[in-house]
This record gives sequence, C-alpha cells and structure tokens, in this order.
Amino acid sequence: MRTPVLTGLARTLLLLMVATGCRKQAPPPPAPAAEAAAAPAPPAPPAEPPLSYELRLGRQVFQHYCLICHGETGAGDGFNAFNVEPHPRDLSAPAFQKAKSDGELADTIRRGGLGVGLSPMMPPWGKTLTPDQIDQVVAYLRTLKRPDAPPAS
Amino acid sequence: MPLRRLFAITSVLFFMVLAISPLKNALRPYRAIQREYARLGASRAKSQKLAEAYQARPVSIQQIWLPGLQNRVDRCTTCHLGVQDANMAGAPGVFRLHSHSFHTPKDFDRFGCTSCHGGQGLATLEEDAHGNAENAGTPMTPLPFIESGCGRCHLATQVAGAAILSRGRQLMEKAGCFACHLVKGHEGFRSEAPPLESVALKTGGEALKRWLKDPKGLDPNASMPNFHLSDADIEALTHYIFNTRPSGLLAGKVRAAGSEKPGDPVNGKKIFAEARCISCHTLEGKGNGSAPELAKVASRASQPWLLAFLRDPHAFNPRTRMPQFGFSEADTRDVVAYMVTEFKDFEAPEGMLEPVRVNQTLAEKGQKLFRTLGCTACHVAAGGESERIGPELNRIGDKRASSLDFGKRTELKHTLPAWLQAKVQEPRSLNTGLRMPSYGFTPEDTRAIVTALLAYGAEPIPAAYLHQPATRPSLVPGGAVGALFDRYRCLSCHQIGDRGGDISTAPLTAEGSKVKKDWLVDYLLLSFTIRPILTDRMPVFRMSREEATTLAQAFGTFYLDPAIPEDPFDGQPASSRDPEEGKRLYDTLGCRACHILGDKGGYYGPPLTEAGRRLKPGWTYTWLKGPQKWRADVRCPSYGLSDTDALRLTSYLQTLTQKPAAPKAGHGGAR
Repeated sequence: MRTPVLTGLARTLLLLMVATGCRKQAPPPPAPAAEAAAAPAPPAPPAEPPLSYELRLGRQVFQHYCLICHGETGAGDGFNAFNVEPHPRDLSAPAFQKAKSDGELADTIRRGGLGVGLSPMMPPWGKTLTPDQIDQVVAYLRTLKRPDAPPAS
Repeated sequence: MPLRRLFAITSVLFFMVLAISPLKNALRPYRAIQREYARLGASRAKSQKLAEAYQARPVSIQQIWLPGLQNRVDRCTTCHLGVQDANMAGAPGVFRLHSHSFHTPKDFDRFGCTSCHGGQGLATLEEDAHGNAENAGTPMTPLPFIESGCGRCHLATQVAGAAILSRGRQLMEKAGCFACHLVKGHEGFRSEAPPLESVALKTGGEALKRWLKDPKGLDPNASMPNFHLSDADIEALTHYIFNTRPSGLLAGKVRAAGSEKPGDPVNGKKIFAEARCISCHTLEGKGNGSAPELAKVASRASQPWLLAFLRDPHAFNPRTRMPQFGFSEADTRDVVAYMVTEFKDFEAPEGMLEPVRVNQTLAEKGQKLFRTLGCTACHVAAGGESERIGPELNRIGDKRASSLDFGKRTELKHTLPAWLQAKVQEPRSLNTGLRMPSYGFTPEDTRAIVTALLAYGAEPIPAAYLHQPATRPSLVPGGAVGALFDRYRCLSCHQIGDRGGDISTAPLTAEGSKVKKDWLVDYLLLSFTIRPILTDRMPVFRMSREEATTLAQAFGTFYLDPAIPEDPFDGQPASSRDPEEGKRLYDTLGCRACHILGDKGGYYGPPLTEAGRRLKPGWTYTWLKGPQKWRADVRCPSYGLSDTDALRLTSYLQTLTQKPAAPKAGHGGAR
C-alpha cells in the first residue's frame, strides 16, 4: 500500500525537478524562426483551419437542405427567405448559439418548428435525415457562430 | 578426425541457417510498432481494465482476409492498429483512427484496406506494403485521388459522396474520351461532331483555319480539342475539307436559302428570346453551355447555312442534340437576320466565309492527315464507322509505372497518377509526335479525370461487391410518337429511364403518372418556368396542337409508374376526401416555406396555385408519402404522413385549379 504512494511521490518530485530544470535551461535557439524571417516571407494568407471529415459532411447537409432559407452563413438570408413569414432564424447569432444546447438544436431539426412550439415554416427533418446527419449538421452549425460582439460599455 | 571437424562446422552452419527465419521475424519493425501501440493505448485508456487489455495484447501479425473479394489478405492493421479504435481518435501517425466515411468504421471486415487504398496487403514492411519504391507493383493511391477506390465498385456516373469521381466521369463523357478510347460500358458512344461533308457548306476557308488552330479559343463550349496543328497542316486539312462533296440535297437547301430575301432582325430578336435558345447554348457566356456559344457564330457560319440548318438540323447532322423548331419560314428568316446582324466578330477581317479554291495535291495530303490525326473517331462520314485510335482504357488504373513512357518529363515522379496527370493536362508535353490532343483541362478537372481513370482496375470485381445503378428500362416508342421524340430531341435534355441528357431537372420516366394531359398539352405549346427560382425553362418549340396532343397522349400511355395509383381515393373512407382538413394540414406543415400560394411563400418549390390543374392526385399522394423515393436529392422533407393525411392534403391540392394569369413566355430571354 505504501510503496506505490512513495514511488508516486518520488515520481512527482522527479517530474518537478526536471520541469524546473528545463525552465532554467536556455530557451531553444530560435534558429528556424530567424531563417523564416530571413527568407523572402510570403504573405501568410489567413488560412481557415480545414474542417474535419464529420464537419464537411455536416456542411454538405447544411448546404443542401438548410442553405436555401438560412443562407450560406446561417444568417437567415437564404434566397428562399424573402417571401417567407416569419423570417428564418439567424443561426449565426452568438446569443442564439449560447441559448441552445446541441440537444435542443437537434430536437428542433428533428421535429420541426411546430414540434417545439415555434413556427411551422421550419419543417421536421427527422424522417428525411438520419440521426447521424442531424448530429453532423448541428456540429457544423456551431462553426457558423459569429464572433461575440464587444460588450456594450 | 577431419570428418568430425567437418561435421561440427556443418552442424553449426545448419543451426545458423535455421535461426535466420525466427531472427528475421523477431527484428521486424512491426513488433516495435505494436509495442508502442500498447504503450500509447494504455496511456490513453479511460479505465484500468482497458489499459491492461492494451498491455496484454500479443505481438502478432493482424490481417483481414476477404475470400469473397479477389481473395485479398490485408495485413495493414498489423501496423495501423488504431484504425478501428475510437480510443485512438487524434492519435499521431500510424495509430490514427480512420476518419468516418460511408464504409468506415462499419465495413472494415467487408472491404479491408487495399480495395480502396491500393498497396500490397500481404506485405508487412512499410516500403513494400505502400509500394513507395519507383515502379512498384500496386502502389497505394495518393490521397487526392482516393475516390478512385469508390469507383472500382460503384459504376454509375454519379456516385453519392464521391464528388470528384463523379465529376471526372462526367467530364470524360463530355470531352468525348470514349470516341478514341474503348471503355467498358461506353462501347456505344458516338460523338455528335458534324459529318465533314457539310462543313464546306457552312463556313469559309479563313474561318475554318482559325477554328482548326484553336477551337476552344473561338468557342469555350466547343468539344473539339486543340491538335496543335502547324500552319501547313491546317492549310492541307482545309483544302481536303473543301474538296469533300456535300450531298446534293444539302447543297440544294443551302443554295435555296441563299436566294431568299433578308428577314427582320427586330422580330428575330423577339423569337430568339421566346424560343429560349440559351437553354442549351450560351450567349456571351450566359446560358447552359452544352451547345455552342452563339456570340460570334455568324462569323463562322454563313447566313444561308444558318437558315437551312435551323429549318432542318437533323439533315445536316443526324447526331446533333439540337431539336427542330417549328418556326414558320418567315420566322426562321427573322431569327437568322437577327443572328447575322448581332452575333458576329466585329473585329474579324472581311472574307472570313469565302470558300477555298481547292489545290488537289494539298487536298490529298490533307486526306492522309485526317486519318492519321484520328479525326475519323469523331467526324464520321455518312454511313461510315468511327475508328477508335486510342488504346483501350479498361485496365488503366492498375498499369505499372515501369511500362509508361515518361519521355521528356524527367522531373515527374515515376508513378501512374503523375503520368496520367501529365497526359491528361498536356499530352504532348511527354513526347513530340503523340496523337492525343489538348483539352485545356484545369488542374481540378485533371484531378477529377485521373481519379475516374484510376478507377478502371485490372481485376474484375465480384458481383456481390459491384454497385450498379438501378436502371429503369427506357422505352422510346416508334412510329409517329417516336418521330416526334426524335424531332424535338426530348432525350437531349430529359432523362427517360437510364437514357437522356442532364440539361433538364425533370426526368420523364413517370411523367404520365404525374401530370394531367390537358395541362401537358398547354405546357408543350407554351412552356414556362415551373419553379420561380429557376431562370431556365424548356424552349418553345412552336409545335402544333396536334403534335402536343399526340405527345401528351403518349406520355399518358407509356410513361407510367406502376407504384403510382391513378385514383388514390379508391377504396378509402370518405373522410379521406376532406379538403378542409387538408387545408389545415397545409397550413400547419409549413408547405408555404417553399411553395407560393396566394401572395406569400418561398421561391424554392413550384407554386401550387394551379397544382390541381397540373398534377394527378395519385402522384401528389405518392409524392407526399415520401418525396425522396422519386428523387434522392430533393429538398422537400418527408413528413411521414399517414395515408389519410396524405389523401386529405391531396384532395385540398386538387381544389387549386386557378390558371396562371399571364404565362411568362418571354421571361429571361436574351436582351
């Protein structure tokens, strides 16, 4: 019983020592960075991180079924939205994204607006999309969130 | 004594030889990898028990044996241990979990690894298994072309989830690869290039020379590639083409058209827009793009030819996809007058359309060139057979890199995909004197085509694994109806069964079960955009009411789907015919989000104002029961309606019979 505790303690000590030792050591030579700076620096494009395979599947579903009303960025401005009353929801609004859990979003997609007590203009997709596809599209919706507005001063 | 010594030495040698094999096995790199995997797995494990399971794994070769799929044995999982292990999501390098796809993780035991990725399944050394060495037997497919793996089993042109492969297959068909290369499933391919005899009637020497120099430069929609001809060769070919004898009938038609008085361009412009020529053609880039760009066509084709062609296109080119319009004599004259005044190259020198005075020596040289260049693969003389001059492509995807000639491209990696890329993008960069012309494909198009090519494997795929498109027979009746189908070229745009073009979004396979006859007659006479979101619509063919009635009747007779009842209310309780209840359903289901009824509604779906005049109740009912059954990619959601609800909704939609006030015949035309 005692030995593992002791060895555990010893290991933590050792780790701490190594860590502090490392910190005291000189920082690694900044050679690669210097080289990169010396080379004719190509203007780094603000590359978006590539989406994972699951997110790409979600995007495919979104662009096929949701985009016509909710728009490319989720702002509720798809080409089909203009003559529709009430207007489609702005899915990219930070407040909306914060208020709804993944489960709630999936539920609304599955059962439609009427199913969750909202406008019937949002149809239920539970019999068209598979549960996997709904989860994927919810994950993709999360990537559409606009950056939070700066807090009002 | 020496005998005993000899015996001692040989026995030591014997034991050494015996030891080689176990030693070699003990030193294999996969053993270290498996031990590393056990360590990594234990450190990532969520429970003690799981960590112990990792530690307890014996070090041994793993394999997936597929007796039913070419007897494949894939030992990839000997090193790639984490491909099915959710615990290894995001793990580094060789231990990574396989990304989620249509067949993973559920189908590892059905497909193994090499059936999609290529490589040598039996090998357990990285170099051998991946086939990295130059000229290796079956190397792994590089990831940019990975969809070629899908294409080995999925034979349809459009493969769901494999966009690059599908695009490649579509491009190959559009570019006419099968005219020169024999490929299984495309043996019947015929190019729609015009027969040569009528070319001399159409164009002039200078215009033809410019065309031969760079077809796609003059017309971006041209399917003819660039043969990089020298000026001397172009001269010879021009003399040959102007030396061919057009049939007396065609020459007579053009001559007669030439003696007519000029038409009225203003009226021609109106007809051009109403007929909606850009459903297939483009005008300064606007339009569908599956037929020639018309912006400068009058500088390539003479006025008499345009007039004669428009009146009887199928006489000039029996394989053209162009329908015959039912314009009156005067209307055709007006359309051509409009084209001749507007659609020309205003910078071109005079005399572009002057015929060539044939020099017999040059013409003979041109005739030989015409054969050796392989022009006969697409431009088939009347009654002749096309000649495929390219090699067959059926096994190209498994061709060994060592059998390929990289020629001048010494910088290329000696792999099949690299060679195919160079060959498709710029064939003559490999060697001078090659016959394959340049198609001007973009790098993305090239990647798609190489993906499609790599899918043609050498080993036959067993039937249990093959995924062939479910085709429905495409019956096209003969007689008077068949003649009308041919005249209006319905199959150029519409799909019927597994035949037909993709210009229209409306397949006609079940059209008779779908729309009512009276509506169809009206639509054939004066077509309009059915969905507000689409700007394209069917051309107005100016067919007679008699012809429209014959066609509508034929649809009602032949193009029926047995799954669609003629009267869905038959045998159902009277309560199912309740339009009031149907209206309530219409409002609560949110149909208005996509369909216009009254003044509000979405633009995506067809307006339902005249749904009851257009659609048969049986179709409406079966559609409502499951739209995806009729078109996999349709956006209309499946509501899972009960029979009664679907019928009530149907009966409500049947009450909507208001005829649209003003059909938008001229909508979206050229202005």
